[in-house]
Amino acid sequence: MKAFAALLALVWAALNAVLAILMVVNAFVAKTAQHEGLPAQAALLLGGLTIGLFAALLAWECYRLVTKRAAVRG
Amino acid sequence: MIVRWLVALVAIALAVSGAVATLGQAGSGAQPWDEELSDNFVFVKVIPFALALGLALGIALGGPRRADASRRFAPATIAGHWLLALGFLLALPTGVWQYMGGILDVSLPLPLYLIYRVHYIGATLILFTLAWFLGYWWAGTDRSLLVPRGQWRRHLTGLAHELPPRLGRMIASRLGLDLRGERPTAGKFSFYETAFSFPTWTFVLTLITITGLAKAARYVYPVPGPLLYWASTLHVAAMVLILIKVLDHLRYTLARWSLVVAMTTGRASASLAPAPRVAPASAAGGDDE
Repeated sequence: MKAFAALLALVWAALNAVLAILMVVNAFVAKTAQHEGLPAQAALLLGGLTIGLFAALLAWECYRLVTKRAAVRG
Repeated sequence: MIVRWLVALVAIALAVSGAVATLGQAGSGAQPWDEELSDNFVFVKVIPFALALGLALGIALGGPRRADASRRFAPATIAGHWLLALGFLLALPTGVWQYMGGILDVSLPLPLYLIYRVHYIGATLILFTLAWFLGYWWAGTDRSLLVPRGQWRRHLTGLAHELPPRLGRMIASRLGLDLRGERPTAGKFSFYETAFSFPTWTFVLTLITITGLAKAARYVYPVPGPLLYWASTLHVAAMVLILIKVLDHLRYTLARWSLVVAMTTGRASASLAPAPRVAPASAAGGDDE
């Protein structure tokens, strides 16, 4: 059950990581700057970096769950 | 109790009638609208029924319950939690696509109205569940997720202790908290849950609800352009915050498997008991978060 939950969460983390990459990359695309402006670029960059960070933390937690290291914490 | 359930039954009957009438109008072929505009109207007409039904059912299911130390979550809380999760599962990816599709300037090989339709179904579930929880908590007596009046400093101090030491010290320094004293003892929920997680959930869910309702209102009321612009902008911001919150929520609960078990079976385990009243300042922090 833990492995299944970890797998589902890992898929969610991976999808969010892809989204984070798209957001960060598109923060620097000329089209975004022309159409959306600097605030939207900053929001994409900040949002993308934060989502990427939390996706990485979740992926790490999935790994810990599967490798049983989290078991002692409940 | 009987009155509450009578009200809930009336709400169910009204919601079913409203849904039948709304879908009947949309499917009659009498309106010249395309699929997307038709869905917009269906959504905005269903919202009051979803809110009223959620509220009535929440109140009916709430109220005093028999104390059971072995239970952490009541069945109604578990049902509401998973309904909310299902709503997010439908509304978040479709909301992200609506936003990122425009940024990337790409289209999926399926009609856009289907994306909106799934988004609206998810949003309706979320609105229903939020109203459910509001009614449920209003009618109930359990306030253990809330920080009591005058207790914020204690809860924030507890939160600083639960965080990794460096982060905890940084937050304590910024907020002027003293970590040298006795470590506060958490109640039914950890300080991370009471002082950070639940308040931030409340904020982002309120933001996405208000902005979403403002956006939907344009189909029944001439919402001023600037208001609509800010509602749309903040709706996207709230969506990004919810994505982050979901990732953090999954990270936190997967690290504490008994929380996952509790939100599935309702049963509390010994590992969810409050931390012992120990930990002097030098050893404080770093055990949980």
